[in-house]
Amino acid sequence: MNIGSQTALNNQMIGCHSCHLLCQRPGREAGNNLKCPRCGARMHLRKPHSIARTWALIIAAIIFYIPANVMPITTVVSFGKAQSDTIMSGVIYFIHSGMWPIALIIFVASIFVPLLKLFILTFLLISVQRRSGWRPKDRTRLYRITEMIGRWSMVDIYVVTILVALVNLGSLATINAGPGAGFFAAVVVITMLAARSFDPRLIWDVEELPDDE
Amino acid sequence: MTNDKPDESMLNEVPEAEILTRRRSFSIVWLVPLVAVIIGGWLIYKAQSEKGPTITITFKTAEGLEAGKTKIRYKDVELGQVSAIKLSNDLSQVVVTAELVKDAEAFLYENTKFWVVRARVGVSGVSGLGTLFSGAFIALDPGKYGKEARDFSGLEIPPPVTTDVPGRHFFLEAETRGSLEIGSPIYYRKIPVGQVVSYQLADDGQMVVVKVFVNAPFDQYVYQNTRFWNVSGLDLKLDSQGVRFDSESVVSILIGGIAFGIPNFALPGPPAAEESVFQLLDNIDNAQEQIYTVKQKWILSFNESVRGLAVGAPVEFWGIRIGEVLDVRLDFDTQKQKFAIRVIIESEPERFSESDAAADQAQRKQVLESLVQRGLRAQLKTGNLLTGQQLIIFDFFPDAPPAAVVWEGPYPEIPTVSTPMEEISTKFMRILNKIDNLPLEQIGNDLRDTVNGVKQLAESKDIEQALQNLSATLDETRQLVADFRTNVTPGINATVEETRRLISDLRTNVTPEIDATLERVQQSLVSAEKMLNADSPLQVKLRMALDEIGGAARSLRLLVDYLERHPEALIRGKGTPK
Repeated sequence: MNIGSQTALNNQMIGCHSCHLLCQRPGREAGNNLKCPRCGARMHLRKPHSIARTWALIIAAIIFYIPANVMPITTVVSFGKAQSDTIMSGVIYFIHSGMWPIALIIFVASIFVPLLKLFILTFLLISVQRRSGWRPKDRTRLYRITEMIGRWSMVDIYVVTILVALVNLGSLATINAGPGAGFFAAVVVITMLAARSFDPRLIWDVEELPDDE
Repeated sequence: MTNDKPDESMLNEVPEAEILTRRRSFSIVWLVPLVAVIIGGWLIYKAQSEKGPTITITFKTAEGLEAGKTKIRYKDVELGQVSAIKLSNDLSQVVVTAELVKDAEAFLYENTKFWVVRARVGVSGVSGLGTLFSGAFIALDPGKYGKEARDFSGLEIPPPVTTDVPGRHFFLEAETRGSLEIGSPIYYRKIPVGQVVSYQLADDGQMVVVKVFVNAPFDQYVYQNTRFWNVSGLDLKLDSQGVRFDSESVVSILIGGIAFGIPNFALPGPPAAEESVFQLLDNIDNAQEQIYTVKQKWILSFNESVRGLAVGAPVEFWGIRIGEVLDVRLDFDTQKQKFAIRVIIESEPERFSESDAAADQAQRKQVLESLVQRGLRAQLKTGNLLTGQQLIIFDFFPDAPPAAVVWEGPYPEIPTVSTPMEEISTKFMRILNKIDNLPLEQIGNDLRDTVNGVKQLAESKDIEQALQNLSATLDETRQLVADFRTNVTPGINATVEETRRLISDLRTNVTPEIDATLERVQQSLVSAEKMLNADSPLQVKLRMALDEIGGAARSLRLLVDYLERHPEALIRGKGTPK
């Protein structure tokens, strides 16, 4: 219509992801099974199976999100007294000891952001699948936020790994990573992959392909 | 792409993308959620399968316990965690809820014990210091197989002995608890080998039952004839050997203790079974005494005064103690209007050895009856003339009127003979008989004859003659003495005078010389002593001389040795060493 009318898609063109060669699309029947004539890379208009892949990864991330929060992420052994903490119990501990800013950082980085990512991606997937034309620009912005903030959730994992390496004072104090840390790392990585596998162009395809694909 | 329309010619030159024919129907990405589901499912399964029983334990106080942190351990292996601590409804106790691991199910029987391990300082030692840093934890002692339970009552003090310690429990019956505490040591030859586990009043309230535990391997020294005695506190003895203090250990002074062993005279019997019952004796002296466990009670009835017969008085047979008096009481038979004194005695058959030890009860009865027929009777006898104490003796009285054992009544009755009067009268009779048998008439006749003979002798002429002769002899003797005095006495006087003079001479002349001689001898002894003193110059010089001689002898020996090996040195000299 206005800005988005001239795209590779509606001009029967396709660009190579590897060498950025602009090619002509042979026809509808070829689908996405195309090869770049110059570099031989696979060509596709949109990321292949983007929705299915993103769904798969999001489902995996949701599943992993549960043990990541239920199981202890660290075990502090101090004077023979072992104490296991989940992410949430750490946050509560910091709240109780009056360290609101730290509690807020951990809460945002470790609980709120992963959850937000999962919600945003789920929402985007559903809206794309339902071919919703609702505020595509805002939805694209949501996607960009998701992709950008995703990596910050790894802060928690970094802190845990550094603590485990640093605090190793024998019987005085030792910190061990709990099983929750692994699951949490899996959640972060999988949501990042899910964000990458989602093709934001699908949001705009509604305007170009009114009924197809 | 800001242009309105792309250049047509340019677009025509754009190459066409090639078509790939490969196609995949299933995206491998779905393996990721599949793996996630598998892992999640496995986690859920694991959590569910590892979830053990939830139990509640009641304690008096929750000191040191924290919900979500306090662990439950057995042998320092974590078996669970306290999940909640609440007060009981009546606020008198603390109810601790704990979640255990699945394996713990095997420990949860109704006799499983729980207690809180915290630092404790007691008389017998300090324990649980580690919990000062790690915090208190709940320990458990797995019960033996029994009824399964989920609600427990926690112990306030740790049990002194846990079930996993090898050894055996025994019960000791004591009159009083004494100073025994739970945890009081048990000694075997002064080695601590066990502990008092518990004590409680017997059901009838008549004694205290002390439960003790003897650790393996010392429990093998508990025989069926082992005796346990109290070693609480100090043992102070004051006897002919002086004052003696004795104690098993300082601990036993403070919290009491029990020792065991077999008496010196006994041989080890068969080993005692688990939870055997023993008597707890007051001290080692009691333990060394013979104890007779088999006791038989009898009734004796007397128709006479039993003044001086006290409870505990000995019962003897031919001077050997066979038992003691248990009770003395007066019975009145209203129908016959007769008094009778009933004495209950206790005999200890183990005191005498039998040739036929295997005789059964009926045989014993028969034997006793035949003995009574032969005259076996009980009798009162004065044991101590001064105090008038009486004892009971058994003896054979063949002359006693016939009687039989009365088996009826609470205890069998053995017939008695009423002693003192009868015995005294028989003795009198014997004395009278002897007097009766004396030949009094004959003695009288003999006496008369003798008197007559004497009379005749006194009246005869010979006596007169003899008297006259005697007076003449006396006269002569008097004359002889007078002669002696006049002639001999002066000579004797002169001799005595001379002797006295000689002695005075001796004193004046010889004595000073002897004194001088003695003085000289003393001087020479002093100088000799000086000479012989270890630090006298003579001694020192002598020692030096001896050393010199020793040195000379040594070098001579060296020379001789050398010459023996090198005889040519006499001619050639020692030569230069190579």
